[in-house]
Amino acid sequence: MSDVVVIGLGPAGLSAALKLVESGRSVLLAAKGEGGFQLSQGTVDVLGYSPGRVANPLAAIGELPAGHPYASIGAEKVRDAVAWLRDTLGEELLVGDPAQNYVLPTAVGAMRPTALAQPSMVAAHQAASYAVVGVRQLKDFPAELLAGNLGCRAAWIDLPARREVDSSGHMFARAIEDPAYAKRFAAAVAAAAPDGAVLLLPAILGVKPGTWRRVADQVGRPIAEVPMQPPSVPGIRLHDALLAKFKAAGGRVIIGSRVVGCKTNGGRVASVTLAVAGGTRDLRATDFVFAPGGFASGAITVDSRGKISEPLFGLPLTQTDANTLIGPDYWAPHPLFEVGVETDAAGRAKYENLYLAGDIIAGAERWREKSGEGIAVATAVRAAESIMGGRA
Amino acid sequence: MKSLEADVVVIGGGSTGVGVVRDAAMRGYRAVLLERADLGQGTTARFHGLLHSGGRYVVSDPQSATECAEENAILKRIQADAVEDTGGFFVVTPGDDPGFADKFLAGAAATGVPAREIAVAEALRREPLLNPGILRAIEVEDGSVDGWQLVWGAARSAQAYGATVLTYHKVVGIERERDRVSAVLARDVKGGEDVRINCGFVLNCAGPWAGQVAALAGLHDVNVVAGRGIMVAMNHRLVNTVINRCVYPTDGDILVPVHTVSIIGTTDVKEDDPDVLAIPRVEVQEMLDAGEKLIPSFRDARALHAWSGARPLIKDDRVAATDTRHMSRGMAVLDHAARDGLNGMLTIGGGKLTTYRLMAEHIVDAMCEQMGDTERKCRTADEPVPGSENRKLYQVTHRLEEAEEDRFTDPIICECELLRRSVLVKAMKEQPDATLDDIRRQTRLGMGPCQGGFCSTRAAGIAVAEKVVDAERATGLLRLFLKNRWIGLWPILAGDQVRQTALDHWIIQGTYDVEHLPQPEKEVVL
Repeated sequence: MSDVVVIGLGPAGLSAALKLVESGRSVLLAAKGEGGFQLSQGTVDVLGYSPGRVANPLAAIGELPAGHPYASIGAEKVRDAVAWLRDTLGEELLVGDPAQNYVLPTAVGAMRPTALAQPSMVAAHQAASYAVVGVRQLKDFPAELLAGNLGCRAAWIDLPARREVDSSGHMFARAIEDPAYAKRFAAAVAAAAPDGAVLLLPAILGVKPGTWRRVADQVGRPIAEVPMQPPSVPGIRLHDALLAKFKAAGGRVIIGSRVVGCKTNGGRVASVTLAVAGGTRDLRATDFVFAPGGFASGAITVDSRGKISEPLFGLPLTQTDANTLIGPDYWAPHPLFEVGVETDAAGRAKYENLYLAGDIIAGAERWREKSGEGIAVATAVRAAESIMGGRA
Repeated sequence: MKSLEADVVVIGGGSTGVGVVRDAAMRGYRAVLLERADLGQGTTARFHGLLHSGGRYVVSDPQSATECAEENAILKRIQADAVEDTGGFFVVTPGDDPGFADKFLAGAAATGVPAREIAVAEALRREPLLNPGILRAIEVEDGSVDGWQLVWGAARSAQAYGATVLTYHKVVGIERERDRVSAVLARDVKGGEDVRINCGFVLNCAGPWAGQVAALAGLHDVNVVAGRGIMVAMNHRLVNTVINRCVYPTDGDILVPVHTVSIIGTTDVKEDDPDVLAIPRVEVQEMLDAGEKLIPSFRDARALHAWSGARPLIKDDRVAATDTRHMSRGMAVLDHAARDGLNGMLTIGGGKLTTYRLMAEHIVDAMCEQMGDTERKCRTADEPVPGSENRKLYQVTHRLEEAEEDRFTDPIICECELLRRSVLVKAMKEQPDATLDDIRRQTRLGMGPCQGGFCSTRAAGIAVAEKVVDAERATGLLRLFLKNRWIGLWPILAGDQVRQTALDHWIIQGTYDVEHLPQPEKEVVL
């Protein structure tokens, strides 16, 4: 029996779990996979577009429609939640101001707004000029495409992370943890780099938070890490740090087991059922935080006839027929991906002790407006505070 | 405008057109092929990938059945790299008339289509996902064929015999001198130089667009009806053998393992405009229902992508006046000399991919006859096309084998299709003005489960890194690729493909913010 069972290991689940464990609750976190951070860009978006580019996310939150997840939370609480995450992780991992977006280049050369970023990235904000260095053996960093779209020059270094040529950014990041490799890497970058005020490098500068500084010192020029597609090294850094803090504070974790059902008692969830080797196990708790992700994680499903559902708790969704919510224009909004669960002001749905956080909540196409982590953290903190307040 | 001289201009780069241009070139004619887009893009490759054994026609169309059986064997010889020898079953599903199988076996014997009934248990042993309620199973020699590989193989053979193949060249005029065709005018739609080809003969192989082409020669009453059919590709090979329902031909009666996927098809709906082919979600549902008859729980499998193609059927009130002596059923040839008093032009409609070579032979025979040139004999059945010289049939595992050999030097750019960088770069350098979709048709880039989520930005980056295009065009190509992939994605979005699409959106829009890349003055469309 725990005070709280948290389902989900992404930005929402980890934030809620950490907040709760730090308030003294006994918390069990259960997740089927590694969570959403490793799929993300590894920064904290609050609101990037609405629909034009947003400079001050907190100011723009006030303009959002009533169904948006931020609308019922309000700008101040969003600010507090995001600032809490930043301060909790510390300036080795996250810097910035929720009231002021950075604008940072993506790996293909778009200028992308985000509220908090890692210190290894922010030199790229409003830089006078750029240069790009890619690694030949890293296929996920299109150096010339990035440079071409920024109007700067690109160069390559040759430095395999391992014998097989096909290596992810994560393999490079692990290699760079070896000081000898890092030194070779930095020397090659310094030798190859074209002129430019800030040197853009793939986001592979170590799996640990401070490793990038060592590389930067050795390169001897201002550098900025540019996020790439999964597996996201910066995302993994945030994930690892939050999980480590949660465990250090006494939180318990079960990873790799799927929650397959629940037992309810009147209007309350009594337990959730975990599939484990050889059978199932009931996880009982006073309160439950449900932060399973949305469509990408499979927490919200669409069957072959187009029926949308939330299979675990059978939570009511804002829409249930996908057929009318998806259309032929790739660039247009796809209302399907705004479908989710509506919560009450405390973040609850259907059951009085079931609190929702993150992508499961309806009302935003997060990748389009660049708001994923902000919504996740704000709704996670709301869930945690509701639980803490309710039992104070 | 540049000027070319040719004996014959072939209009349309589908299987008919490339078959004809290859045949004509092998007979020693100076031949030019004009295709308004990419080879096989209009109709040919918008099919389910079946290389017919002939079984489908043994009852309904015996002559086609015999032709399919013969051509099936020929294509396995001359275009081995495009054909996988999967074998096929005709199965009687619960509710189907079991007596049809007797008619089928009798028809197969009469038409020379190899077929033998096997025990249901044997069919289920070989295809464990097959409906265990099937009543009878007949084994045939169906295969699967890559339509793009097929047309490019034939086109390269034609080029080796001196033919000129011009893709992205749209015919804008057909000139005549009194009662003879004299030249064809084409626009390079990618912005290069327009071309005028002086010629003595024009073969209109434009499929659903044949009426529009004929009109350019002043022939205004060639009516082509587009019979639209949709296909749905399912993730994985649910079967390794082509599965046909043993019934009179109907909608959704076939499931074909092609490369890493299996494709179910198809429907037949009349369309007015061959340039606007819908993929109605309701027809996708029909295909899924049809799949359930063959493979229980088909609906739980993952649909990856859907597409639509148009069968070109010529409707001609004066069909009695046309010369179809040499022609198989299902194919119509309009002789514009007899029909309209215009010498040197034939319009071809109908036909099927499996018999494309034979059809081309008939058409070029007809042309030779009109030219009084009957000494030149068809040789297309004898000689393998470039790439198939070793007569080694395609195997789905071949890329895995190659990737294993090259793993220290050649990264995989598209993991779903095991597409190595070297293969991608070779295709890009061969066609420097290609779109990523043109490249996809030859390399399968972005055709697997992630539908470009992971590989499209890599491919765009490689195109710049290899100096094939600049960053502005690469950005435009990336945007076009994503837009085009979506055409076949949104109609089937369900199940795990919704998850995949959400992940792809997180990557492409979330992490890369592709929608806010610098906008070109003009969106890249070609």
